[in-house]
This record gives sequence, structure tokens and C-alpha cells, in this order.
Amino acid sequence: MVNFSIDQIRVLMDKVTNVRNMSVIAHVDHGKSTLTDSLVSKAGIISAARAGDARFMDTRPDEQERGITIKSTAISMYFEMPEEDAKEIKQKTEGNAFLINLIDSPGHVDFSSEVTAALRVTDGALVVVDCVDGVCVQTETVLRQALGERIKPVVVINKVDRALLELQVSKEDLYQSFLRTVESVNVIIATYHDEALGDVQVYPEKGTVAFASGLHGWAFTIAQFARMYAKRFGVDKAKMMERLWGENYFNPATRKWTTKGTSAEGKPLERAFSMFVLDPIFKLFDSTMNFKKEQTTTMLEKLNIVLKNDEKELEGKALLKTVMKKFLPAGDSLLEMIVVNLPSPVTAQKYRTALLYEGPLDDECATSIESCNPNGPLMLYVSKMVPTSDKGRFYAFGRVFSGTVRAGLKVRIQGPNYVPGSKNDLFVKSIQRIVLMMGRYVEPIEDCPAGNIVGLVGVDQFLLKSGTITTSETAHNLKVMKFSVSPVVQVAVECKSPNDLPKLVEGLKRLAKSDPCVLCFTSDSGEHIVAGSGELHLEICLKDLEEDHAQVPIRKSDPVVQYKETVQAESSIVALAKSPNKHNRIFMKAMPLGEELSRAIEDGKINARDEFKARARILSDEFEWDNQEARKIWAFGPDATGPNVMVDLTKGVAYLNEVKDSCVSAFQWATREGCFTDENMRGCRFNIMDVVLHADAIHRGGGQIIPACRSAIYAAAYVAQPGMMEPVYLVEITCPENAMGGIYGVLTRRRGHVFAEEQRPGTPMYIIKAYLPIAESFGFTGDLRAATGGQAFPQSVFDHWEMLPGNIAEDLKLQELVKNIRKRKGLNVEIPPLDRFLDRL
Amino acid sequence: MLYVIGLGLSDEKDITVKGLEAVKASERIYLEAYTSILMVNKEKLEEFYEKPVVVADREMVESESDVILANAQNVNVSFLVVGDPFGATTHTDLVLRAKELGIEVKIIHNASIMNAIGACGLSLYNFGQTISMVWFLDNWRPDSWYPRVKENRDIGLHTLVLLDIKVKEQSLENMARGRKIYEPPRYMTVNTCLEQMLEIEEKRGENAYGPETLAIGCVRLGTATQQFVAGTMQQLLDCDFGEPLHSLVIIGRRMHLMEYDMVREWVPQENRGTFEEIYKRDYET
Repeated sequence: MVNFSIDQIRVLMDKVTNVRNMSVIAHVDHGKSTLTDSLVSKAGIISAARAGDARFMDTRPDEQERGITIKSTAISMYFEMPEEDAKEIKQKTEGNAFLINLIDSPGHVDFSSEVTAALRVTDGALVVVDCVDGVCVQTETVLRQALGERIKPVVVINKVDRALLELQVSKEDLYQSFLRTVESVNVIIATYHDEALGDVQVYPEKGTVAFASGLHGWAFTIAQFARMYAKRFGVDKAKMMERLWGENYFNPATRKWTTKGTSAEGKPLERAFSMFVLDPIFKLFDSTMNFKKEQTTTMLEKLNIVLKNDEKELEGKALLKTVMKKFLPAGDSLLEMIVVNLPSPVTAQKYRTALLYEGPLDDECATSIESCNPNGPLMLYVSKMVPTSDKGRFYAFGRVFSGTVRAGLKVRIQGPNYVPGSKNDLFVKSIQRIVLMMGRYVEPIEDCPAGNIVGLVGVDQFLLKSGTITTSETAHNLKVMKFSVSPVVQVAVECKSPNDLPKLVEGLKRLAKSDPCVLCFTSDSGEHIVAGSGELHLEICLKDLEEDHAQVPIRKSDPVVQYKETVQAESSIVALAKSPNKHNRIFMKAMPLGEELSRAIEDGKINARDEFKARARILSDEFEWDNQEARKIWAFGPDATGPNVMVDLTKGVAYLNEVKDSCVSAFQWATREGCFTDENMRGCRFNIMDVVLHADAIHRGGGQIIPACRSAIYAAAYVAQPGMMEPVYLVEITCPENAMGGIYGVLTRRRGHVFAEEQRPGTPMYIIKAYLPIAESFGFTGDLRAATGGQAFPQSVFDHWEMLPGNIAEDLKLQELVKNIRKRKGLNVEIPPLDRFLDRL
Repeated sequence: MLYVIGLGLSDEKDITVKGLEAVKASERIYLEAYTSILMVNKEKLEEFYEKPVVVADREMVESESDVILANAQNVNVSFLVVGDPFGATTHTDLVLRAKELGIEVKIIHNASIMNAIGACGLSLYNFGQTISMVWFLDNWRPDSWYPRVKENRDIGLHTLVLLDIKVKEQSLENMARGRKIYEPPRYMTVNTCLEQMLEIEEKRGENAYGPETLAIGCVRLGTATQQFVAGTMQQLLDCDFGEPLHSLVIIGRRMHLMEYDMVREWVPQENRGTFEEIYKRDYET
């Protein structure tokens, strides 16, 4: 039974102040999807009885089977608040009906690109944290991502039932554990503080933290209890909220509030939170689970909970679930928290525009985004592609930031490489249809105004994965998403039957579209390569490829990781390379960029598209660059954004600007395919020291300059102690003490090393943090399970690039690795000698 | 011995007697065929020389010169260049490398566009710096030749403009991929050249020349179908010049009366009026 109609939703879409776009984010297995179900059941899309085990948002069979979310799923919900409560909302609203567009995202790190795509189209996030496990590595990652996109968080501490039933903790212990969790969340938020977003730390006493059991379908916030007690004590609700958290105590004897834990007579007092909030819940648990029928009945009467006839027969857990759901329905409290505390698009777009838009912040598009104007030029960001029931076609899923999108509208489809004024990566097409995404279903609608999330039909073939859709001819792009994971693990695939090749090729194209992060390409040796963020991600991608996209049996190679080529010192000589006709000479030196700066570039903190003077200032202030040199960065690479730079240090060279493009192309090419292994370069700075050019343009075209500049870059790197970097995981393992020996054994065998080990407060579990080379991580989970009797659970997330010891030009072990990569890629196994790149004067 | 032999401008028979003797005495013969082309194909040359000829493309000359120079200390090798060896295109690099290897080098000259251009009626003494025109790309429109033309014009000299040819070139994408796939041959026409030149004049606006500046389109110079058409740059823009190779001369202000008489012959009847008018206005000093 759906308790609202699409028409109702459509009406609300125009009242943007009453729209909330939010994502649900968390560490894997902290109960996002289950919790989401209880929200969805409130909206009446699934029956309340099945909430908790339906996993409505897990739309794929494998998601249901594995019990993990793989793809993010969106749904629109209609929520009506009691009118008096709606008045408490501090931002501008209209009436008490709200539209909540919710995106459930995967928790497993391998799929965090899905989270990035979800965050981009939302303004708020519901951060789910397991009350027993606390803040985990992925909680931090997603929270950091959210703050980076200027997404306001609220927190749900989930699985409170586990603490009560399994761990049987006391009220005070439970309070302490809540407090710890809230504090660890706030530490992370404080670390990534952003002026424009303001203070977004969460406080239970301000109603931005909820406590819940997704499985049992109940949840509460302090605001709810405060409302109840405010009447009883006759005080203001806001004041009551403050009293129900922290160092506030109530002395029942004197009926006075105090901030001291003991009464005047020295008797210990019970914390207000325990007394007024936890006590009723503990009592209900106690009476139902211990089959105290009478006590239960009295409590139910007191709390105004009426059971239906068939429900009266229930006992134990089933009864507890029913009772708690009626006492503190999760949907109500969470949706209320969301509506009250998360920003509407109107509120959010004011401070998000600067982060979202690449163009000047005073053009018509920027101002229209800032005011979330439905009558302005259309600005829509497509963040991902969602497969339709029609094989090979996709809905383009995205958010309207400005204007109104409607079926039949002629729009400009701008890919990530579009540059204003050019025709590159640009299509002008009509939108065929638009739809609302409703979990497993879609609902067609006529049009969709700014501030809402939609699916578009008919633009999928013009965009690879994401892009900007606009009606303004002068519009710049909405910023391309920055993923926290990169496709570092790859396999080669081939079809078992050669006849199926066309299907495989087509399937790879579809796979590339359907996942925000996966890369599909053909290597120089003709192999089809699929690259993903981790073993699990690849496994899912290949399964999709085999079963859905290509539908032909495939064979896959063992997974391999990507390496990076780099330099470890300044070039020992100035490397010279001549153009093929010898009339042009380029003098180049390489030097390390430094890990810190490489990371800043990878994280987008230093960006190729930044204004060059501002960028130069940051480089000279924070990275000790010479300001003049910093202004002369010609390019970042590979792909114009990567962590290598080319700097022009020449003085007064004639015609230099006419060969700049050729040099930049050469630099992109060289940094994409390093001279030793054809892998990307990373962390290299190339200084053009001098250039001698032929006087006539005909003798210094791209055909002459590109090979010369590429050789110069290679030669400069060759004499700068070239090295290799390998990707390393940060592994977090939760285990009991007796399993630790096994874990150390497995890690040591795989070149891993532990750098932190601590006991989780209040539990017998230990958390081990270790670095593990990704190259050694295949089959790690299985190994670990075997070595610990299944007691250890690892979570791996890509952490950094680690330099392998040695210099490729000399170290035999490194050369062995280089040769292996060359062999796998079908290159000539021998490492090219220096004089292939270096010319003599 | 390495003979670097000029072949002249037209066909197999333009070679000098001395050049032909050197070819006959050579063990290997290479034909450089990417900076210019003859009006006849390689087979015609082989027939005439009664010897096999290897076509050396850009890659061979620039990257694999060792092949050409192999054993030239002991045997004779001929390297044939269309026009003159040290005319428009210089092969200095090959000569230098030969010398490094201790190979004796002998140059045999021939006619080049640089001297044959005199056929248009303008005196070679009155030419300034020669420039070449490359094809513009979307984001690469080099104009470093513009000051050269301006310098010539300022002191009243003529400018010879050589036009780009791409006989066997990779596209930038194919080069980056390392694929040896070559684009079909292309030869720039006088029309394209004028279009580009006028674009740059409009952009820089330093008045080096303009649509009313007099010029001569010189095509297939030195061959049987050689043709000159003179007129304003605007008039030549729409003129059909036919087959390659094309060159262009921008006429300098100091055009001598004798030069004028000769050039006037190349002006189509219907444009003579304008030509004379402009000459009187801008040129007669």
C-alpha cells in the first residue's frame, strides 16, 4: 500500500523549501539498508510488518543474497509532520508536508565511488554508526567525503538492541558508549571543518543524534522524549533537551535538577538520560524478554500502546519488536530529525555553489544555482547511470540544481572534458522522458524543478559516466566528482568462444557506463582490461559483465595491481633530446614533487583548473615553491589532472608559445606511459630548462616536438633515480585477543605490517590496523578467516602509494618487477637503455 | 662516398649530367620524398636510371639514417632530393652524421623553388626572408612568420611563401599510441594559405598586408603545366589553381617597372583594371 500519490510528490517538488535530499552513509554492515527500510515503511512503500528484513533498497538479487549493498538506490518519500512540530524548523518552510529524496549507498569501501555519486546529488547525510563497533575506517571515509562536498551530517547510533540483548550493558555504560561514539564522530567533523558550511558537529541534546534499532524498527531522539517530559515538568522543550543529555541529574527526593552526580546527602544520583530516556526502554526490554506478562501490560497502558488482538499472543522477541515499534516508531523520529536538521536545497545550494560550479560565480548559471531558481537556465548534474529493464540502456541519474527539466526539452549535454566555447565532448539533444526513481520502480513525471533528483531517458549514449546537462550556451561544467578510491586492481578478460567477441566488447562498454569507478580499456597487447577499486568490486563487475552486460561466458586472468613510476632525486644531468629532424632541442630536468604535494593534487586540493596566481600562492606558502616558478606550471598530467607537473623555466626562448601545446601533449603521453613499464608516473616535476627551436614553424610542428619532448622527459626521469611505487591498503581488523597471533602470521607472510593495536573500550574485541600491499591482498580475507577460525573481519581501504626500495636503473630486484610488467603487457621484455631517450650535444 | 643529389623540380630528366653519373656509379639509391615531390613516380626514375630506387620517408631519414649511411665509407650511396639539396629543405643533419662516420660527402646542386621562382617575373635580388605556412589546427595557429612578412614589406621586398605538404604523417593520436598508421597525403593550396594569412592579419592588425595587397600564385613551378596567376590576395582567394605543388609570392612595394610589366601578364584580363589601380596607389614609388 502506497500512502501517497505521485501527484502529491509532484506538488511538493515545486515547494523546494520542503524538499530534503539526503544520503544514508556508513561503514559496511552498520545497518544502513535495514534502517532505510524502516523509513521506507513509514512512507508506506513496503508493509510495516516486513520492515527490518525486506532490504527494499537492495534491488539486485546478489545484494539480497550477500546482504550487502552494491549499488546506491534512490527513493522519494512523502512525510507529514504534526503542524506544531513543523514550526520548530529553523529554515524557511511552507506547510507541514515534506518530500524526502533518500539515497541508500553501499558501505563496503570497494563501492565508495557509489557513495561519492550519491553525495553529489544530496545536501544532507544520515550517518549510521553501529553502537557496538563504534566509528570505523569507512565511517571516517564517508564522513570525510560528505564534508568535502559540503553535506551536512546527522548521526544515527544503530543496533542499540544488540547492546541491550547481547551485551547486557548497564544504563550508564550504554550512555558512556553513546558519548564515545558521538565524540569520535565530532573529532572527524572538526578535522575537516569548513567555514562555509559552519559548525556541523552533532549533539544529542540538539536532536542531531538519534538512537535506533533498524532491525526492530524503532528509534528515538532526545527531542522526542523532551517533548513528552516538557509537558510533564512544565518547562520549555529546548531546555528539557539540554537536561536529558550530559552531566544533568534529577534528584527524585527533592524534585530538583542538578549538574552534580551526587545529592546533597552524598547519595549517587542517576543521570537524567538514564532515568528518563533509557529507563522506560530497559524496563520494556526486561519485561518482554523475561516474560513478565503483567508488568508488560501495565507498562503498555502507561505508554498508551494498544496491541491488536493477534499481537497480544506474541511473546519474547516478537513481542518486543512489536511493542518497541509502536512505542518509538523509527520512521517518525528519523524523518523528523531529517526534516528539522538537514538543509533544504534552497538552504544548501547557497553555500554549495562555489564548490559545485567550475565557472565564474557571478554568471547567470551560478546565480541561478545559488538561488535554486526553477525558472533559471537548466543546470543538471548526472552523477551515475542506472540500468533500465531495456538491456544496454540506462537512466541518467542526477540532480537539478537550477531551472526545470522536462520531456522533449532540447539540452546541451556536456561531458567531463567539455571546455566552454568548444564543441569538444558536447552534444545537443532532446530529453526523451523523465522519471522518478523509486527503489525498484520508476514513475514517469512531466517535469522536474530545481532542487530535486531525477532520472533522464535518452541521454545515456552521449555521456560515459557523468556530466552536466544545461540549456545555457555559456554554462561551464558542474565540477567533476573526485573519487576516494581509484581503480588499482585489474584483470584481463576474454570470452571463452572467439565468436562472442563483439558481445564482450559491447558488454565492456555497458559495464563502464553502469559503474562510476570501473575502467574498461584495451591494452597495447590487445587484451581487454577491467580495472576496479578492489577484489570485491572486480568480482561484482565481472559477474555483471558475464551475466548482464555481455551475457557470454568469460575467462579472466589473475588480478594484478597498477604501479606508478616516479623519481627519487633531481636529475644528475640536464637531459637533452633532439627532434627527429634535429633542428629542435629540448633540455629537461626531473625532480620529485614530494608526497604531500602529490596527495594534494590527487585529492583535488591543488587543481589544474585553479586560477594560476592563487595556486602559485598556495604552492609557495605551503609547499616551498618559488612563487615565480609556481606561476609557470604548464600542465598537470596524466589526463591533465594527475600528480605530475611540467614547469617552464626557460628564459626568453623565441616561439616557445607555439610549441607549448606539443610539449603538453608529450607530457601527458609520457606521464601516462612511463618509460620503464608503461604505467602512470606519479610525483614527478619536470622542469624545461631550455629549448632551441627552428625559426620556421614547418620544422617544429607536433610531429617534431612531441617525440623530442617525450624523450627529454624520459631521459630526465632516467637519470633522476627512477623508482616504482605500489598501492597499499590500510587494513582494519576487528578480532578477539586469541585470534591475534594468526593475524600477525598472515600479515607478515604478505609483507604487511601492523602499526596500531588497541582494545575497543567496553568490549573484549581488539582493533588491529596494518598496511598491506594490494599486490599481496588477493585471497587475504579467506586466508585470514582460515588462520583465525573465522574470528577476524578485515576492512581494507586504499591508503597510499609506497615507494619500493631501489633505483630501477641499478636495482636488480626492481628490474625483475619491471620486466614482469613489461612481459604481461606484451612489451619487449628488455628495459630500454638510456641512450634511446638521451641525445648528446 | 655519399652523394647528395638535387633532382630539380619536374621529372626524371631534370637531373644534371654530373648527378646522373653519380647515380650510375652508386650501389644504393635513396629518394627523399617527404619534403617535396616530383611530378613523376619512382618507377619512372628507376627506368631512367636503370637501377632500383628506395623511397626514404621521414622516419627513415630522421630516425634510421644508419641504414642509409651503412658502408658508405667503401661504396657509393646516392641520396636524391627534389629541388636542390640545400634549397628549401636542408639535410644538414644527414651530412653531419656522414662526416662523423668519416664518410666523404659530395653535393650536386640543381634548380630549386628558391631560384626558379624568378620565373614569375620578380627579381630574385628583391626577395626578402622566405617563410613557410603550416596548416592551422583548432588550438595551434602559429603566427611567428608574421613579423618576417612585415619586415619584408616594410623595406619593400617580396616574400616567398612555401606551403606545407604532408606526404606520410601520423595523426597526433596515432603517434601517441605508437601506431604506424599514416594520414593520406595532403598538399596545401594557395587558397588555404591566403585564408590563413588574412586571418592572422585580421587578428594582429599590424597592417603587414591586406586583402588588396598584390600577390602571385605560382603552381607546379618548373613543370610543363607551370602556371602563374597574379592579383590581389582577395582575388586569388577564390581562384582555382589545380594540382599541387603550390607556392605564393607577396609582392613588395619596391616592384620595379620591368617586374611590373612581367607580372601584369599573369593578371586575368578582367582584373587588370584593379591591378593597375592598386599598383599606382600603393606600389609606384
